[in-house]
Amino acid sequence: MGMARFLIRRILAGLLVLWVVATLTFFLFFVAVPEGVVARNLAGRAATPAVIAQVERNLGLNQPKAVQYWHYVDHLLHGNLGFSYYTQQPVTTIIKQALPATISVVIGGVLLWLIAGLGTGILSATRARSLFDRVATVGVLAGVSAPTFIVGELLIVAVYVQLSNHGITFIQTGYTPITQSFSGWLGTMILPWITLAVVQAAVYTRLSRGSLLDTLGEDYIRTARSKGISERRVLYRHAVRSAMTPVVSQLGIDVGALLGGVIVVEQVFGLQGVGQQTVTAISQGDGQLVIGFVILAALFVVVANLIVDLSYALLDPRVRVN
Amino acid sequence: MTESAVDDFPSEADMGSDVLVTADKLTKHFPVYGSGVVRRAVAQVRAVDQVSLTIRKGRTLGLVGETGCGKSTLARCIAGLIPVTSGKVYFEGRDITNLSRRAMQPFRREIQMIFQDPYGSLNPRRRVGAIIGDPFAVHKTSTGAERKRAVQDLMARVGLNPEHYNRFPAEFSGGQRQRIGVARALALRPKLIICDEPVSALDVSIQAQVLNLLADLQDDFGLSYLFIAHDLEVVRHVSDAVTVMYLGRVAEYGPGDAVYDHPRHPYSAALLSAAPAADPDSAAQRQRVLLTGDVPSPINPPSGCRFHPRCPKARDLCATADPPLETKAGDPAAHLTACHYPVQEGEILARAGRREHR
Amino acid sequence: MSITEVQFQATAVEDAPAKAIEGRSQWQLTWRRLTGDWVAVMSMVVVVLICAFALCAPLIAAATGHPVYHAFPNKGTNAFGQPVGPGVNGFPLGTDAIGRDLLVRIAYGARISLFVGLFTTAVAAVFGVSVGLIAGYFGGWVDTVLARIIDAVLAFPFIVLALALAAVLNPSLGIVIGVITFFSWAGISRIVRGQTLSLKEKEYIEAARSLGAGPWRIMFIDIMPNLLGPVLVLATLYIPTAVSFEATLSFLGIGIPPPAPSWGNILAEAQDHYQTAWWYVVFPAAVLLITTLAFNLLGDGVRDAMDPRTERILAGGKTATRRRGKHRGLSLDEAILVGEQADLSVDHPISRTEEG
Repeated sequence: MGMARFLIRRILAGLLVLWVVATLTFFLFFVAVPEGVVARNLAGRAATPAVIAQVERNLGLNQPKAVQYWHYVDHLLHGNLGFSYYTQQPVTTIIKQALPATISVVIGGVLLWLIAGLGTGILSATRARSLFDRVATVGVLAGVSAPTFIVGELLIVAVYVQLSNHGITFIQTGYTPITQSFSGWLGTMILPWITLAVVQAAVYTRLSRGSLLDTLGEDYIRTARSKGISERRVLYRHAVRSAMTPVVSQLGIDVGALLGGVIVVEQVFGLQGVGQQTVTAISQGDGQLVIGFVILAALFVVVANLIVDLSYALLDPRVRVN
Repeated sequence: MTESAVDDFPSEADMGSDVLVTADKLTKHFPVYGSGVVRRAVAQVRAVDQVSLTIRKGRTLGLVGETGCGKSTLARCIAGLIPVTSGKVYFEGRDITNLSRRAMQPFRREIQMIFQDPYGSLNPRRRVGAIIGDPFAVHKTSTGAERKRAVQDLMARVGLNPEHYNRFPAEFSGGQRQRIGVARALALRPKLIICDEPVSALDVSIQAQVLNLLADLQDDFGLSYLFIAHDLEVVRHVSDAVTVMYLGRVAEYGPGDAVYDHPRHPYSAALLSAAPAADPDSAAQRQRVLLTGDVPSPINPPSGCRFHPRCPKARDLCATADPPLETKAGDPAAHLTACHYPVQEGEILARAGRREHR
Repeated sequence: MSITEVQFQATAVEDAPAKAIEGRSQWQLTWRRLTGDWVAVMSMVVVVLICAFALCAPLIAAATGHPVYHAFPNKGTNAFGQPVGPGVNGFPLGTDAIGRDLLVRIAYGARISLFVGLFTTAVAAVFGVSVGLIAGYFGGWVDTVLARIIDAVLAFPFIVLALALAAVLNPSLGIVIGVITFFSWAGISRIVRGQTLSLKEKEYIEAARSLGAGPWRIMFIDIMPNLLGPVLVLATLYIPTAVSFEATLSFLGIGIPPPAPSWGNILAEAQDHYQTAWWYVVFPAAVLLITTLAFNLLGDGVRDAMDPRTERILAGGKTATRRRGKHRGLSLDEAILVGEQADLSVDHPISRTEEG
């Protein structure tokens, strides 16, 4: 009962966020910019005056702002993200083409980051001050400091270039769809996954190690041990569960970082995913695609936060009652 | 409360005399909020209920009671630190109830406070000289070298070494920190200092020193004190008049000797019987009055006399009617008790059985 | 006891330990501890060196004879039009795609990166502390509104905003500074707000109110000194984040626009040359990594120096510090011992017994 209400409240909050983002984007692209520039931003840097005029007609840019806004929202609600004049394709088509690469990177990267981060964190905490722990700590410090694109670049130079110089072509840049070849897909995904995961894994190792160590110091853990419960059970049944709450709440905040990481990774490895398409769109002045991406990103953030909130509520029943 | 109770307190017209502060039917309720979507008060904590008292110039009013009886809240109401729900506070005849911060500012020079926790009442990140000099800074009365001189003068007054002007509170002991607090309170030569359990956190030997310091300052500067404590012997030592509070109400009020030697309210009597006596012989002779039950919650106080569920003398009337605060037979006019069946002369409370009630 | 006896006791206690008259402030104690931590000292040195490197960029350009925007197509590129390596033709670190001196460009890039890192953090700190103080102290609807804003900013993916802005306006230093500052202040604000909320209940704040101190005085004279420690630690850790953000934005092409050099856009250009010119990638990346690592280590060191007792109490009552393998010279236990002894002598000159 409490769970359902909690979920509904969160979903409503998410919808509100989406609406706010859409409105702000509209404001940025259509209102905050002087008249002639609006069309130019949407038509592309290389657009001729004829194209710009066509854009103005199609989008009805001479109509009052309120009417434009209405059309804008109306289109969004019908899943129409606009038309990219530069590439002469509907934005949704471009996104659909680019999405598989992005999804592959995201899912693999997040899994790797969570497993590596939490795993190392838990192992470090249980073997505090051991060699493993100290090595991990140094690694964490390096990982936390490096911007994602640096890791990617260094991996390319150190791994990809070296391997291909020796004739090993398993690792490739660019993207091979999984439908085409599994090993090909894997070969294009491994380095991006590692790149995406390294920085975040470092942060989460530190976070989960600290949280678990704090929890293990609590009295109720001592009680469980004194009751004779095996160390493994104490750890996984009791300690880890409550140590994970700050980790989960941090996850919610890190969704934004994940987006940034995805864009960077796609750019470095040439994956032609949604992120890279957006960056390209900017250099070409293709505004519509950027708008589409912003909305999509907001949707992603909202959904991801919902999942995180759900996990948090499952982990910590107090949240639901509130 | 009947009208006779009100007559016992100086009215506004009567202010000319030696009365410094009057609290008139002071009430403070704290709302308890429910857990609904909209914040609504579902209950009230009746911390202070219809309390009236007087503090005379140059004198000390002691305020005793158990933890949770509302004495700290009352002190803060009088000091203007928390807004009052109803009732009035008069300072030198002027109404200072719920004044705006600006309007209250001049009165803040006259009313100061000393706090209980020597470790919490001083900002650990500021030097002692700055802390004591704060009143001068806030009220813009002196600056620079002049202020420093005044601060060091204060430090010497309260028994601290003026050369420690630049030290941090962490470098002082508990007793010394209380002296710093006293120096801070004294800076602007106030008329009233409210002492909220100033010695409760100190060792007994240090308590004596600080109490003596307070007494000397009272003589030197003509200060009035509102002295709050839960230790009865301390209160007896310092007070001219005493108020005993229970669950937000005044149980008994009067000159120190009168209340201590002839307590009329059963609660006061029980409290006094529990205090350790210095003389082992008299201690052996004394009968302990044991109260049953716990202190009820101030959210839902008992009907009628608030003490009746624990009172050895309680009868039917006690559960229904709130006893007025008035003089009982044989007492001097200034000794007031709120009880239907006050303890009589020579009555031994320990023997009183709990009669049938409720 | 008479008052003379009181005075006697007071002076007796006061004279007993012969101590320095000046109290040691939190900052002096922190500095002492910081300088005792060799890793923190090393990272401080590195940070200073990098700042010096940035400041001396014009000197470096003059010394090598290669101005920062000047391309040398003849001696700067080889026969195939590709960059030349380190040490070749008087280019200490090699050249970039169009024959510009890489060392000089990295030095000028350091100026931008450090400026952005320090400036945005400073502004974000000032703004964040103010907002956090106001939200925490005033409470009520002010706090509700501000707290929601802080949460919204924190949850928002900054890169999406940066992308959108870059699509509408042209990328520039101003946009970079604006975006980074916009997203840095919220983190600081949240911490400050939390601290203020708990500090405002302290008795010395009540004492200040009873003196008649107004809210602004209390916020900035009483509460803020208690906040500066955590804020300093946070700010030191935000600087490398800001530097990374700027590099990432420039790398994606929405940060510092070329030809102005930034470590990020140098690396963006290097993308096309990683097969043939390893120095083009490695040197800027190395400098960036060293800078962020140094600031991170320094930040950790400052945090440990501020409050050496945190992280001491770990699982099962065992004591260990979070010194992260820094004390490779000492064993970890020896390091703890040194740390604890330092505490006892420095922190509490008078033992806490009840003396009048």
